[in-house]
Amino acid sequence: MNDPIVLEGNAAVEEFDVRKYIRLQMMPHFLCPGCGHGIALRALLWAVHELGIDKDRLAVVSGIGCAGRLSAYIDANTFHVTHGRPLAFASGLALVRPDLHVVVITGDGDCLAIGGNHFIHTCRRNLKLTCLMLNNEVYGMTGGQVSPTTSETRITTTTQLGNAEPHFDACALAAAAGAGFVGREVTHHVPKLKDVMRAALEHPGFAFVEVMSDCTEIFGRKNDMGSSPEMILRQKSEIRPSAYRDTVETPFRPNTLPTGVLMCNERPEYGAAYRQYAQTVKSAGDGKQKRG
Amino acid sequence: MSLASEVAESSQHSGGAAARGSREPVNVLIVGVGGQGVIMVSKVLASLCQAHGLQVKQSEVHGMAKRGGSVFSHVRFGKQVWSPTIPKGDVDILLALEWAEGLRWLPQLRAETGIFICDTKRIVPPFACLNRRQGAPMRYSRETPAEVIAHVAEAYAVDATRMADELGNERAANTVLVGALSTAMEFPLADWERVLAEFVPRKTVGVNLEAFRLGRSWIEEARRTAPDTSDPQGQGLAAAVVPSTVRVEIEAQWCKSCDICVKLCPERCLRLNSERIAELTDPAKCTGCRLCEWLCPDFAIRVHLQPAAAVA
Repeated sequence: MNDPIVLEGNAAVEEFDVRKYIRLQMMPHFLCPGCGHGIALRALLWAVHELGIDKDRLAVVSGIGCAGRLSAYIDANTFHVTHGRPLAFASGLALVRPDLHVVVITGDGDCLAIGGNHFIHTCRRNLKLTCLMLNNEVYGMTGGQVSPTTSETRITTTTQLGNAEPHFDACALAAAAGAGFVGREVTHHVPKLKDVMRAALEHPGFAFVEVMSDCTEIFGRKNDMGSSPEMILRQKSEIRPSAYRDTVETPFRPNTLPTGVLMCNERPEYGAAYRQYAQTVKSAGDGKQKRG
Repeated sequence: MSLASEVAESSQHSGGAAARGSREPVNVLIVGVGGQGVIMVSKVLASLCQAHGLQVKQSEVHGMAKRGGSVFSHVRFGKQVWSPTIPKGDVDILLALEWAEGLRWLPQLRAETGIFICDTKRIVPPFACLNRRQGAPMRYSRETPAEVIAHVAEAYAVDATRMADELGNERAANTVLVGALSTAMEFPLADWERVLAEFVPRKTVGVNLEAFRLGRSWIEEARRTAPDTSDPQGQGLAAAVVPSTVRVEIEAQWCKSCDICVKLCPERCLRLNSERIAELTDPAKCTGCRLCEWLCPDFAIRVHLQPAAAVA
C-alpha cells in the first residue's frame, strides 16, 4: 500500500510522514515533555513536504537555545551557529547560494536580544530568507531567565516579583524594520501554522514567522499555567485572528494577539539586486582588463 | 391613465407565468444560505418591479439564519398583491442559491409551470456531518442535478459559484443567478443592470454586471441546447464517501508522557498506560482526526488512514 491515499479535499500528494524528514538516529529529541517547539518543527517539515522542497536544497540555520537545537533533528543541510547570529550566517548563505531554501530557526532570546541587531538589519535588507522565531517567552535552556518577549507580570528566575518591563512585539518590530512577510501563529493550530510557514517559504523576500510556543517545564510551572495540555488549550483564549493594523496600534499586547499572515508585500528582494550589481561591477572590471 | 395601462402591460409581460393571465401576482421565492445574498437578490427584484409601477410585497426570514442558516425571501408582484407570503405550491419561479436549500423548497413550486433555477453550490451544514469519522457519509442530499431536473417542468442547475469565481469574485454568484432569473421575466435589460448597479457595493459594480450577463447568456444557451446535467461536484461528493479504517501507531520509545494527546483528543480515546506511555483505549471511537499526531511534540504518534476496502 504505497499508493498515495486520496482524502476528501486533499490533492493526491503523498501523505506527510515526519519521519522522512528527521534524523532518526537523533530521536527521541532533547526537548522537555510537552514542549511546543516539537510541534513547530513538525509544521515546518509539513510545509516543506507540501511544497515538495528537495532536502538537498533545504538549508536550516539555527542559533543557540532550545529552538537552536532543532536544526540538528532535520535531515537536510543544517548549521548550528553562534548565539544570535543565525540570520547573519543565513544571509551569507542565501547570497552565495540563491538556489537554496534557507530557513532560520531561532528563539526569542536568540533573535531579539542577542541577535536583535542582525534581526532588524536582515528585515531591512529583505533578502530571500525564512525566519521562524519560536517564542516561548523565556530563556529555557539557561534556566528560565527573563527574555525580551516575556509578558508583563510573568515570573521568571530573574523576575521573581513578576516582570515589570514591557515586552517586544516581534511582528510589529519586523514589519517596522521592513520585512516583506510577517506572520504569527500558535502551536495549537498545526494546519494553520503549516499554512503560514508554507506562505512564508513561498514568499520571494524576507519572511518572518513568530510561532507562539509553550515552555511547560520552566515557564509554565513557575507561572502556575498548568502542564502542557492546559498550556496548549490556553493559547485558544489568547489569540485573535486579525489584521496587521491591530499590531501597530496596540504593540504591547494586553490579552489577545492577532495571528495569521499579518503583512505581505512585494518590496524588492535584496539578493537579486545584489547579484545584478555584482554582475555590473564584474563586467566593468573585465572591460578595464581588456583595455589594459 | 397611462400609469395603469403601463402596469397592465408590464404585468402581462413580466414572468414566465404571465401566460396564466395578468390578474394573479407573479410569485418568486428566493432561497439560500445566510451570507449568500438572498436578501440582496430580492431587493433588486422588488426595486425593479416597483420602478415599473407594479405593486410588490416582499417578506423574508433572516436574522438567526445570518451566516450559515436557511434564508428565504418571498417576492410577489403584480397589479394588486394582497398577501406578502406565497401560498404553498404557488411559486412561479424558485431561485435557489444553494443546492440543498433549493431541494428543500422545491415542493412550493407550481407543479406544471414552475421554473426552478438553482446553483449547484453545496454548503454542508454542521448537523449533516455529525459522524466525525474520516470518510463517513454526510447527511446531505444525494440527488444529482439530472435526477432533480427530470422531475421539474423547467429547471436549470447552474454552477454559478464557479462562474463567479472565474470572473474573479466568488461572492458575485448571486448576481449570476439574477442574470438567470432575468431571462424568466420580461423587464428591459437596461433596467436590470441599472437596479443591480444601485444595490451592489460600488467597487464591485463591474464584476457584478459581468456576472449578470454571464448568468443571462448561460440560461439562453441552456434553453437552446439540452440542459447540461454533468455535475463534477456531485461526483466528488460520491467519491468522498469512502469509509476508512484508522490505525494509530505509537512509538513508545519517543513518548515523553506529556499528556497532550490524551487531553486534546476530541473522542477521549487515548490514555497514558501504567508506564505513562500513550495508548489507544478504544480504536472503535477513533475518527482519525489526526489531532494527536499533529500536536505530539515528540513525533511519537502516527495515524494511518486506509480505505476500508483495502483492509478487508
